[in-house]
Amino acid sequence: MTAPVQSPRRAFDIGAPILELESISLRFGGVQALTNISFNVLEHEVRAIIGPNGAGKSSMLNVINGVYVPQEGTIAFRGEQVKGMKPTRAARLGIARTFQNIALFRGMSVLDNIMAGRTLQSRAGFLEVALQLPRARREETANREAAEEIIEFLAIEHIRRTPVARLPYGLQKRVELGRALAANPKVLLLDEPMAGMNIEEKQDMCRFILDVNDHYGTTVVLIEHDMGVVMDLSDRVVVLDYGRKIGDGTPDEVRSNQDVINAYLGVAH
Amino acid sequence: MAGDLVDTFPELLRYHARKRGGRPAIREKRRGIWHTLTWRDLADEAEALATALSARGVQRGAHVALLGDNRPRLYTAMCAAHWLGAVVVPLYQDATAAELTLPLQRAEVTHVFAENQEQVDKLLAILPSCPALRCIVYDKDRGMRHYQQRELVSYASLLAEGRGLAESKSAVPVADAERVAGQDPAVVFFTSGTMGPAKGVVVAHASLIDRARVAAAIEGMTDADVTMAYLPPGWIGQNLCGYVQPMVVGSCVCCPESAETLLSDMREIGPTCFLATPRVLEALLTQVSIRLEDAGRFGQALYRRAIAVARRVGARILAGEPVSVIDRAAYAAYDRSIYGPLRNALGMRNVRVAYSAGDAIAPDLLMFFRSLGINLKPLYGSTETGFFVAMPRDRRVKPGTVGQVADGVELKFTPEREIMVRSPGMFMAYHRDAETTAGAMDADGWFRTGDIGYFDEEGHLHIVDRAACVGALTDGTPYAPRAIENKLKFVPYIKEAAAFGHRRGMVCALIDIDPAVVSRWADKRGITYMGHADLVSREEVYDLIAGCIAEVNGHLALDAALARCQIQRFSILHKELSADDGLLTHTGKLCRDVIADRYGELVEAMYEGHADAGKAGSPRTKIRNAQTVAPAADRGAA
Amino acid sequence: MSDFLFFLEVLIGGLLAGSLYALVALGFVLIYKASFVFNFAQSSFVFFAALSLCGFMELGLPMWAAVPVAISLMVVVGMATERLVLRPLVGQSEETLLMATIGLAFVVEGLAQAVWGVEVRTLDLGVGHHPIEWVMDRWGMLINKFDLVAAIVAWILVAVLALVFSRTKVGRGLRAVADDNSAALSIGIPLSHIWMLVWATAGVVALVAGMLWGARNGVQFALVDLALKALPVLIIGGFTSVPGVVVAGLLVGAFESVTEFYIGPLVGGGIDAWTPYALAVVFLMFRAEGLFGEKIIRRV
Repeated sequence: MTAPVQSPRRAFDIGAPILELESISLRFGGVQALTNISFNVLEHEVRAIIGPNGAGKSSMLNVINGVYVPQEGTIAFRGEQVKGMKPTRAARLGIARTFQNIALFRGMSVLDNIMAGRTLQSRAGFLEVALQLPRARREETANREAAEEIIEFLAIEHIRRTPVARLPYGLQKRVELGRALAANPKVLLLDEPMAGMNIEEKQDMCRFILDVNDHYGTTVVLIEHDMGVVMDLSDRVVVLDYGRKIGDGTPDEVRSNQDVINAYLGVAH
Repeated sequence: MAGDLVDTFPELLRYHARKRGGRPAIREKRRGIWHTLTWRDLADEAEALATALSARGVQRGAHVALLGDNRPRLYTAMCAAHWLGAVVVPLYQDATAAELTLPLQRAEVTHVFAENQEQVDKLLAILPSCPALRCIVYDKDRGMRHYQQRELVSYASLLAEGRGLAESKSAVPVADAERVAGQDPAVVFFTSGTMGPAKGVVVAHASLIDRARVAAAIEGMTDADVTMAYLPPGWIGQNLCGYVQPMVVGSCVCCPESAETLLSDMREIGPTCFLATPRVLEALLTQVSIRLEDAGRFGQALYRRAIAVARRVGARILAGEPVSVIDRAAYAAYDRSIYGPLRNALGMRNVRVAYSAGDAIAPDLLMFFRSLGINLKPLYGSTETGFFVAMPRDRRVKPGTVGQVADGVELKFTPEREIMVRSPGMFMAYHRDAETTAGAMDADGWFRTGDIGYFDEEGHLHIVDRAACVGALTDGTPYAPRAIENKLKFVPYIKEAAAFGHRRGMVCALIDIDPAVVSRWADKRGITYMGHADLVSREEVYDLIAGCIAEVNGHLALDAALARCQIQRFSILHKELSADDGLLTHTGKLCRDVIADRYGELVEAMYEGHADAGKAGSPRTKIRNAQTVAPAADRGAA
Repeated sequence: MSDFLFFLEVLIGGLLAGSLYALVALGFVLIYKASFVFNFAQSSFVFFAALSLCGFMELGLPMWAAVPVAISLMVVVGMATERLVLRPLVGQSEETLLMATIGLAFVVEGLAQAVWGVEVRTLDLGVGHHPIEWVMDRWGMLINKFDLVAAIVAWILVAVLALVFSRTKVGRGLRAVADDNSAALSIGIPLSHIWMLVWATAGVVALVAGMLWGARNGVQFALVDLALKALPVLIIGGFTSVPGVVVAGLLVGAFESVTEFYIGPLVGGGIDAWTPYALAVVFLMFRAEGLFGEKIIRRV
């Protein structure tokens, strides 16, 4: 049995644009990383950004969550323009992310990493926490429950107390997804979630990404190299090449786009 | 005590709800916290569920299947089905959709309790070929949001339905529970066995309850006992230990959070009774050796000394035999420093009695656990014979035997030494298969076990092997693969082994390495490899296994009966043996015939003496000669 | 008095002094963990804090008022350092940051002496500097009461900080920042808050250490050198490990005291100025990551 690319019924119907990127250009010194890129992301969809190495995919993700500030262009979240996006601002808007080279808190346990993902869900200040006042205790309990739900969701109960540095690569990736999920994000940015995984780990990760989208209705923006994975997972795909957008549409549309085929086959422009 | 006369599950459940309603019946670890279901909770929930099931057409004699892991809801579903006099069909949760078809069709199952989306998907895939199946109850709703099939209903809404009905109607199905009789069929176990297609073994309420009572009497079990439910619910052993035994004595069964967390959950719970298969025990031993490799040099040396002392005196102390004061003191000191922490690490701190069942356990493995002070006993029995046929009594455990016959069991031998059993725990029949039933059990109720065995002078029962496996080498040396394989499996690097020798000139073996241990071993030596297949074809790994086999041969040489059955050649399998490929049963028993068939060319190549089994599968498959040791008798003569 | 009791007396004296080393070292560890800066100025903070406290008291403030004022001052100094010195240097190499803190050390020392003058002051915390009588009566050991009280205060502070930083949300934030800045930002941990918090805490730790030491040895420039005894403690304990520096502090204190009493006389005394460093060198040779420092994990 092969699952249809887009199931006819989904738990959350695709909605209005949640992210709109308009004419984004980004330069590092003299290097033009992104040139005049515009696309949007609809609520509850799985949106992929693909392209050959050095196409500017990671830069694009870093622009979305404010690590890089583009020289030109605007970002709008739910229709409202966000000026000077910063990582903490993005986090507060409900944009969570994972990193291409796993950026976990290596000295901490899996549980603590996921709990750390709940930072913005707590209000208690330093003194309240230090003195363990009621609100701080209540929040800690609520955060623990939320973290446990994610641990169950990702089936990582057995490594709850393990320091992440000791985990194999595939599990670290899963924990990183868990930390991002802990913030109850509206938008989840995944930077090559399946890079360096073996086939079973990839299948597991695909399953989890689809489950997140289906169960929590989280909008997913992901960068991926593996074309097969992209085509199975995503509702719509943006294709970048040399910092320019060369394609945008459903997986089938993108697959038959001549520019995309050329870029992937390495035909000279 | 009234409870002793009750011989149906619904009556037992109601009895415990009255007698010890506030005591824990089932504990489950969920999201990091242990949740408790008391006997009263359990009876209430089962009653409500039974009400709803009754409204949905489940009645006495209907077949209700359970498909999932050990979760409290699987057990409440079992209670509810029994409450209505329905027959429970527990299935193996890792069975494929195709494997599920046969039991569902044969038993004409109408209702299934499925744990999650994965199980529901399998059922939906075979729904068209199971016309009787009309209701699938699912427990976990993750991913189930957009399922629209009308057969589906969630456990929670079914329960709410039942509670609603119970409030509105006066006809609460207490009468149904009272109508159930001890001789009614309670469970159909579909045993795949190591050969042939699955057979449905029908067992009555009274038979299961009788066997559990006998075991409880022998081991002195009470409602303070605690067990873990972690083996496949489709296996009679898990059913007896997780459902029947608690129902008989009112004890508590605990469901770990997941298969991977079993050990840490056991450490938290501290079960007093523990049932395991030899495969599980081997895995535990492997864990110990992995942990040991992480210990420093001092720790390892200390451990080795401690184990040596344990080997020498541990089992004797457990058996109550006299031991010198010095040994006793050394054992006590190591008990504090090594065995105790080790028992704790294995979650067996409070274990009073542990059983190894489902397959023969290697004497070395048994003695390892016993020498640590864990009262592990081998158990002999099968699904048909009600599981508890023979077991050693405390202080009378003799390695290599399965002890004395359990109360109520009669046992005799055919001229070919095949064991025949008659017992109150005997199954009723193979499900709708009078012919096979008649072939296995005669009119007087004697059942052919298919096992070869004998009693020794002390009255301990020895099991040699399956009758179908026992044979001889071409030179006439008697040959039974089990003893050899068990010796091989005791090596931490070896997970499974299949030995061949019947009607052959010598013994050869296929080895399935333990990837966890061997990959750690390789990492430590800086051996790089790409995946399992590459690892097992490394020359270094062959050297490692050859060394282990030479050592095993050394042990075999010391045993007069096995000295001529030393392993001459071996090859390492490229792919792990698994139940998914049909090479193991769901409880982890080796399906030797299937393996011989699947790896036929490789086996032939071993006997032909090819150094490289080019045509047998991958060109990288290697065959090695193993170093053998002259049998003690020959050396004496020389 | 038996040799053994004398040894015990020397050992206990060393352990009590070591508690103060641990406290000072803790100030370094907090900052190093959060921002990978070896704050050379931490020892100057100790001096500055003690001197300021004396200064406020000389201005006529009673002790109960001067201490909160000094705490506030140190919080401000800590936060200002983060804001004015470290924040502009974000992203620079560890060496650059170290140089900046060395420069800062001179500024702070100079500022302190310019404002409060250079003369040696005494600080009276109301605890006597005499041996505890019942210990002397029973065993004949001389255990200084002030040293004991100072050690207890140090221990309480260390315990409170260790608890807060290991068990709470704030601690998780600190460790998260220590492990990975960009990941911490992406989940909304406010890096600047954590840094300010850590620097303010380091300032308060410096004040407590300065008070205890100042009351014991007099408030003078030598406090800076004394506080630099934290360096061998850090090397032995590991720059990132709170339990490491606690154990190392005790170890250094005991080692210094025992060698001074047993080996010192043979070589003319005064060797406690360098024995801790010698011990640190030995550790560097055999266990460079420190007692409990994170082992460098190599992944294949």
